[in-house]
Amino acid sequence: MKPIVVKAADADSIARHWGDLRHVDRLRGGEVVVLDVSALTGVTAAFEAFFVALDRHVAARAARLEAVDPQGLLAPIRARYDFNAYDGAAPARRRHRPFLVAVGQGVCNWCAAAHANCTFLGETFANALSMIVHPRRFRFRDASLAFERAGFDGLPITTAIGFLLGLILAFESAASLRTFGVEVYVADLIAIGLFRELGPLVTAIILAGRSGSAFAAEIGTMKVDEELDALTTLGLPPVRFLVMPRVVAATLAMPVLTIFAELAGLVGGSIVLQLMRVPPVVYWSHVTSAASLFMILFGLGKAALFGFLVGLIGCSAGMRTRNTADGVGVAATAAVVGGIVAIAVTDGLLAVVCYLLGV
Amino acid sequence: MADTVIEVEHLDAGYVGVPVLHDVNFSVSRGEVFALLGGSGCGKSTIMKHLIGLNPVLGGKVSVAGLEMNPANRARILRKIGVMYQSGALFGSMNVLENVMLPLEEFTRLPAAARRTLALMQLDLVGLREAADKMPNDLSGGMKKRAAIARALALEPEILFLDEPSAGLDPLTSSALDDLILRLRDTRGVTFVVVTHELPSIFKIADRCAMFDRARKAMVALGRPADLRDGSSDPFVRKFFTRGGA
Repeated sequence: MKPIVVKAADADSIARHWGDLRHVDRLRGGEVVVLDVSALTGVTAAFEAFFVALDRHVAARAARLEAVDPQGLLAPIRARYDFNAYDGAAPARRRHRPFLVAVGQGVCNWCAAAHANCTFLGETFANALSMIVHPRRFRFRDASLAFERAGFDGLPITTAIGFLLGLILAFESAASLRTFGVEVYVADLIAIGLFRELGPLVTAIILAGRSGSAFAAEIGTMKVDEELDALTTLGLPPVRFLVMPRVVAATLAMPVLTIFAELAGLVGGSIVLQLMRVPPVVYWSHVTSAASLFMILFGLGKAALFGFLVGLIGCSAGMRTRNTADGVGVAATAAVVGGIVAIAVTDGLLAVVCYLLGV
Repeated sequence: MADTVIEVEHLDAGYVGVPVLHDVNFSVSRGEVFALLGGSGCGKSTIMKHLIGLNPVLGGKVSVAGLEMNPANRARILRKIGVMYQSGALFGSMNVLENVMLPLEEFTRLPAAARRTLALMQLDLVGLREAADKMPNDLSGGMKKRAAIARALALEPEILFLDEPSAGLDPLTSSALDDLILRLRDTRGVTFVVVTHELPSIFKIADRCAMFDRARKAMVALGRPADLRDGSSDPFVRKFFTRGGA
């Protein structure tokens, strides 16, 4: 084997020499490995690590290490470290958990999460009852602040998305209906689609992304900063103090946001139909005849339910934030994902119920 | 003892499934400054969490202000204690005055003007009157801790728990905080339980202390700081008080 000549001890230069260890591993035993450090003026931690590794690889192959070390740089390293302690210092292979253990732990984690969620729901329910009995205990100021952030601040994006939704719906459906010369019925489709389904659904998804994550991040940060502990030891239940105002705010903000999204969607649809030479009077008369009061109220009720779910899931994720560097980020993600899944599942269930009831 | 305000008997401290300390016994007398000492991760903050009811007791018995710590008594105990957390844990959405007024709003029927005056007086007591309108983010570390003490004092607790009051503070600010603790003890008769590992602070304020060792998962010393430093036969205790020197 060729001598290993180390000319520089910086980490980048040493990195190139780690490949030499593979040549050492191919030795059959009894050979001599020469390490030439005569060009070095000093050593670094990177060089020390390389020297230790080289020594161990040479020993493992029953070879012999000879050093060209006129300045005596290697002896202090040998004195400083117990080389035998570095045998097999290669990273250990990750041990996989046995399948049954993994399943068991998964079930335990699931049960713990279910227990935490049930506890949270119970506390929220108890606090909601307490609020009804003692309305003065409700934090109106915090709720109005949360309403402003979730509702008023979210108005521009919700209105813009609603407008684009109406525009897209009109364009996509008009292309098909025009074939039959009935593009005027696009107005009916937009009205029914927006009021009954898409208005609440899309607004709820926006709310989950904006406010659900914000609730989780706010409460999560408070938890990391020990503010939840401080509330608890002041005798103030965090659920009453932090969760109730946000849940109420989200529940009330959703119908308002939905109305704006739906109106903007109708305006978007009307612009498209105007381009297709359908008079606005005809468009709006189709809209008003297609959308019944029940349908509008049903959609707004659904919106309030979605808002309640987004608020509850966002706050729940915040309360379960772990005290780690990524804890708040994980909580915010869980709030958005959980919120959207809950919205989709609830919407599906409501659709089935409405179908069965013939509504 | 009639004036004992905290009694810890055979306490197994830790979290469910993760015991940290076994068989801890000590008591704290009224008007005393009692320090919980030990190296990082030895369980002193965990003990405090048992004393303030944040963690359920794993085994043994904890009594605070004459009541056994259990879910039934917890709310009554919380009305008799105040807590200052390491970071201050002021509520970021409220200014300093609102932070101090919060417990008064929630637990008293005082009119708004009285609440405000009382809160300002607490801030005066800790030397923070001029910062009443500031938000927590605008305060220094020492000011946050003083504001947290003012908030904890608002409902006139019998016992005040302080978690690492000197952590992150310069020596002068830390010393001023120590002076504040002694002043409150002398003027208001408050009992203090202080979690710390700052030796100058311990010798200045602590009447007695309990020391915990992570390796042995146990309380290894109980007594006056000077007595433990000069007379303890336990090598860990001697080493702790001499900063590894003995």
